[in-house]
Amino acid sequence: MSTRVDFGRRVMVLRRRNVAVRVEWRSVVVCAVLVLAIAGTAVLALMTGSFQLGPGQVISALTGETTGLVRDIVVEWRLPRVAAALVFGAALGVSGAVFQSTLRNPLADPGVIGFSQGSYTGALIVILVVNGTYWQLVGGALIGGVATALAVYLLAYRRGVQGFRLIVVGIAISAMLASANTWLILKADLDQAMAAATWGAGSLNGVSWGQVAFGGACIAVLLLLAALSSRPMRQLELGDDAAAAHGIRVSAVRLGLMVLGVALMATVTAASGPIAFISLVAPQIGRRLTRSAGITLAPAALIGALLCLAADYLAQHVAPTPLPVGIVTVILGGGYLGWLLITEARRRL
Amino acid sequence: MTALTLRRPVDPGAVTVSGSRRRLIGLLLALVLLLVLLVASVLIGSTSISPAVVWKALFDPTADIDQFAIRDFRLPRTVAGLVVGIALGVAGALIQALTRNPLADPGILGLNAGASFAVSVAIALLGIRDIQSYMWFAFGGTLIVTLMVLALGSTRRGQSPVMMVLAGLCVGSVLGGAGSALELTNPDAFDAMRSWNAGSVVSRPLELIWPILPFFAIGLVLAFLVSGPLNAMALGDEVAAAQGVQLVRTRILAIIALTLLSGGATAIAGPISFIGLMVPHVARWIVGPHQRWIFAYSVLLAPSLLLVSDILGRVVMRPGELPVGIVTAFVGAPVLIALVRQKKASGL
Amino acid sequence: MTTTPLKRRGAAAAAAVLSLALVLTACGGGDDKSGAATGDKAAETRTVTAANGAVTIPAAPQRVVTIGNTDLPFIDMGGKPVGVTGVPDSDLALLPPEQRATWEKAENLGDEVDLEKVAALKPDLILVQIPDAEFKKMEKQLTTIAPTVFWGLDTEWKALAEGLGEAGNVKDALGKQKAEFEGDVAKMKQTYADVIKNTKFVNLDRYSNSDPGTYVIGDIGCVEIAQDDVGLNFPKAPAGKDPLAYESLPFEQLSKLSQYDVITYPADDKGQATQVFAPVVATNTWKALPTVTSGRALGVFCPGNNSYGAVLRYLDSLDKALATLPAKK
Repeated sequence: MSTRVDFGRRVMVLRRRNVAVRVEWRSVVVCAVLVLAIAGTAVLALMTGSFQLGPGQVISALTGETTGLVRDIVVEWRLPRVAAALVFGAALGVSGAVFQSTLRNPLADPGVIGFSQGSYTGALIVILVVNGTYWQLVGGALIGGVATALAVYLLAYRRGVQGFRLIVVGIAISAMLASANTWLILKADLDQAMAAATWGAGSLNGVSWGQVAFGGACIAVLLLLAALSSRPMRQLELGDDAAAAHGIRVSAVRLGLMVLGVALMATVTAASGPIAFISLVAPQIGRRLTRSAGITLAPAALIGALLCLAADYLAQHVAPTPLPVGIVTVILGGGYLGWLLITEARRRL
Repeated sequence: MTALTLRRPVDPGAVTVSGSRRRLIGLLLALVLLLVLLVASVLIGSTSISPAVVWKALFDPTADIDQFAIRDFRLPRTVAGLVVGIALGVAGALIQALTRNPLADPGILGLNAGASFAVSVAIALLGIRDIQSYMWFAFGGTLIVTLMVLALGSTRRGQSPVMMVLAGLCVGSVLGGAGSALELTNPDAFDAMRSWNAGSVVSRPLELIWPILPFFAIGLVLAFLVSGPLNAMALGDEVAAAQGVQLVRTRILAIIALTLLSGGATAIAGPISFIGLMVPHVARWIVGPHQRWIFAYSVLLAPSLLLVSDILGRVVMRPGELPVGIVTAFVGAPVLIALVRQKKASGL
Repeated sequence: MTTTPLKRRGAAAAAAVLSLALVLTACGGGDDKSGAATGDKAAETRTVTAANGAVTIPAAPQRVVTIGNTDLPFIDMGGKPVGVTGVPDSDLALLPPEQRATWEKAENLGDEVDLEKVAALKPDLILVQIPDAEFKKMEKQLTTIAPTVFWGLDTEWKALAEGLGEAGNVKDALGKQKAEFEGDVAKMKQTYADVIKNTKFVNLDRYSNSDPGTYVIGDIGCVEIAQDDVGLNFPKAPAGKDPLAYESLPFEQLSKLSQYDVITYPADDKGQATQVFAPVVATNTWKALPTVTSGRALGVFCPGNNSYGAVLRYLDSLDKALATLPAKK
C-alpha cells in the first residue's frame, strides 16, 4: 500500500494487468491481526447484554434455528448495532486519514468550516422543533452541515477564497451556531433536550438494520472512491511540488479528497451524531502500527472499526450506566491523542 | 480554535509618533463608548424606570421598589459585565500572544472544560444547586486544569506553546467527556448545567463579585508586566532570548495571569467563549502587533461588546430576556466577518 | 443491548401541550368470554385502547414494567411495577415513603431504557408515556417483549390515571382516590366561594433551567387544578397561544405584581420556598411588594400533578394556605 522508497523492508508486489500494487508485509500482518481483533470483539459484543444468553443460544439465533424474542435480541437488536459500529468506525477512520494526509496536519478537522455545529443545529431543530423521525433527523443534520459549510465558503469568498479568511469566517459562524444550539437546548423540554444532547454526543442507541443498510451503502461508495484515490494521496504527502512532478493536479485532487473526507464524516454524523476523535486517532495509531511514514487507508479503516466497536462495548457494558459511545471516544480518544502528541513532541524537543 | 496556525513573526516595526497618536485617539473613543454603554446598561431594562429614579437610586437611595431594581439588578449586572468583559478580553490577548496564534481563545487550554467539569461535579455528585457556590467550583476547576496543562505540557526545556495547546486539548476533551457523562446520566444535573452553560451576568450580587476582584487585579498587573517580553517573543524564542527575555518566567507568569482572568470570568458568568477570541484579534488589526496596545484596547472593547450584548438581550424579547452568552456571538460574529472581508490581505 | 433515550417527567414536560387528550377509551373487550371459557386466571385477557390502538393485555397483569411518566402514577394507585425508569432525585424526594420504597424495590431501567433489561424482567404488561417520536423508535421491540400500552405526552393527567387504572388493574384504588378528590374540590369550592369570586390570584414559578434572575408566571402544573377544578382566578394565556410559563421574566418585572391580590409560589411541604424559587424570595423587590408585606403571598406544596394521590396532597396544602389569608378589606 505504500509506494515510498523502502530500505530493506519486505514488500509484496501484486501485478494485475497494468496495475502494480506494492504491499508491505508488515501492513498485511497488522491488518490480519486487526481483522481477528475485530472478529473477537464482535463476538463478545453479540454475547453480552442484560438479557443473559449462552453461546449456544446466540449461535442458533444467528443460524436461524431459534425464533421469537431470543432471535430478535441477537439478530435485530445486537447485530445491527455491531454492524453500525464497524461500518461507521471504518468510515471515520478513512475520513480522518484522507483529511490528515491531504492537509498534512494531524489535527485537521472538517469542523473548521462549521460543518459540525451546522449539522448539530439541523439535528436540534428536527428533534426539538419538528419532533421528527429518524430520517428527518438524518436529513436535518445533512442539510444543516452542508448549508453551514456553503455559507462559510460564500461569506469567505471575495475574489477567491483565502485560507485565513475561511478560518475566521468559519469560527464566527460556528460561534453563532453554537450559541443558537445552546439556546435551543436551554429552552427545550428537559427530556427532549437530553435526547438531543445524546445525539450531539454521538450514539448508536436503537440503531436498526434499515439505518445500517442506508448508511453502509453511502459509505461503501465513498470508501471505494477513497481506495481509488490512495495513489494520488500518497503523492500529495510527498509535497505539492513532488506531486505536481508526478503529473498530479494538486489543487483539484486536494479539493476532491477533502470533499470525500467531509462526505464520509457527514454520513456518519447524520446517521448517529458526531462520534468524536476516531477520525483523528485511527490514522495515527495505524501509522504507528504499520511503522509507515505516511497515512495508510486500510489500517485506518480497520482501527476505526475496532475503536468504535470497542468504545461502544465499553459504553454499554462497562460504564456504570449506559452512555452514548461518543462520550467514551472523547475521553479515551482525546486522552490518547493528547498523550501521543505530547510524547512525540517531547521526543523531538 | 481547532487550527494550530502559527503566526508568522511580524516585525512590530518602529512605533511612529503619528501611529501612536492615532492609537491614542482610538483608545479615547473606545473609552467614551464604554462609558456610554455603562450608563445605558443602568438606564435600560425590562421595565421602564425614569432617569431621575435611576439617579436617586444610585445617589440618594430610599426603599422605593423601583430603586431596588436599579441597585439590586441593573447595577450588579453592569459591574459584572464590566469586570468579566475586561478579564475575558485580556485573557484572550494573553493566549493569542502566548501561543502565537491570532485565533486562539482561552478555551484552547481546556480551562473552560475544567470549569464546566467542576461545576458538573458540584451539581451531580455533591447536590449543590446555587450559582453562588458554582463560582468557587468553576474557579477551582480552572486552577486544577492549569496545573495539569503545565505539568503535561512542560519539557525539560520549559513550556512550548504547541505542547501547552496539545495538553489543553487532551485535558479538555477528557474532562469534557466526563462532564457530559455526568450530565447525560443525571437529569437534575443536565437541567442545571444547560442554564449555567449559556453564560450570564444576571443574579450575581455585588458581594459575590468583590471576592474575585483581587484575582482580576493580580491578573491584570501580571498581564501588563509580561506584555513587553511577549512582544519580543512574538519574533521567536531565539530573538526574545537574545534580547534578554526570560522565556520560562514570562510564560509561567502569563499562564498565571490567564488562569486568574479567565477562571475568574468563568466563575462569575459561566462560559462566554467568543469575546476572548474576537476582541484581541480585532484589536490586533487596529493597532498592529504591540501587546500593550492590544491589552489596552481589549480592556475597553471587550466589556463594550459584553455590555452591548447584555443590553440587546434585554430589549429584543421584551419583557423576556436572552442570556448575554447567547447574544455575544450574534453581535460579534457579523462584525468579525465584515472586518475580515474588508481586510485586503490576512497580514497576520 | 439496545437502549433508547427516555423522557422523564418535568414541569414543562407534563405541560408540553395541554390541548385535549388524544385518546383513551379503555374498554373491557374480551374478558368475559375468555374468562368463562378457561377459568385460568393467567390466560384471561382483555382489550384496552390507548394512543397505540387496541391492545390485548392480561386480565390481571402480574409483572408490569412502567416506562416514562407512567411509573409514579401507577405506584400512586398502589401498583407494584417490577421495572421502572429513571426518576430524578428531586422528584423521588417528594414521594411518600411507602411509594418510594416500592419504586426502589423495582428494577431501575435507567434514564435510557435498556430494552434487554426489560426483556430479562419477563413482564406481562408494559405501560409507556414518552414523546411519540421516542415511542416509535422502540415500539416494535417493546411489543416483542410483552403487550404494550402507550399514551402520548399530550394525555391529560386524569385520562392517564383512568387508562393506567384500567390497564394496570388498579381501578379500585383509583376509584377511592377520585372520590376523595371530588369531595375535596367540592368542599373547597364551598369554603372559599367568596375568594373564588373576588380575588385575583397569580402563581409564580421558576424552573431549574430558568435563566438566572428570571421567574415565570406559572400557568402550568399544579396551578391548573386550582384554576380549572377549584375555580380560583389565575391569569391564563389566550387560547392557541403558548402558556405564560414559557416566557421567562426578569426579576425587575416583580414590581408589576401589585395588580394581583394574592401570589402563590412553589414551596416545600413545610411552606418554605423551594430551592429553585428561593432567589425570587430573597430579592428586596419581593420583600417590598405590598402583597408580600400584607401576608398574601402563599407558598404551596406541589408534589406532582400527574396522579390523584399527589394532587390530593397539593389540594391539602392549598387549602391550608388559603385559610391563612387575611380577611379582605
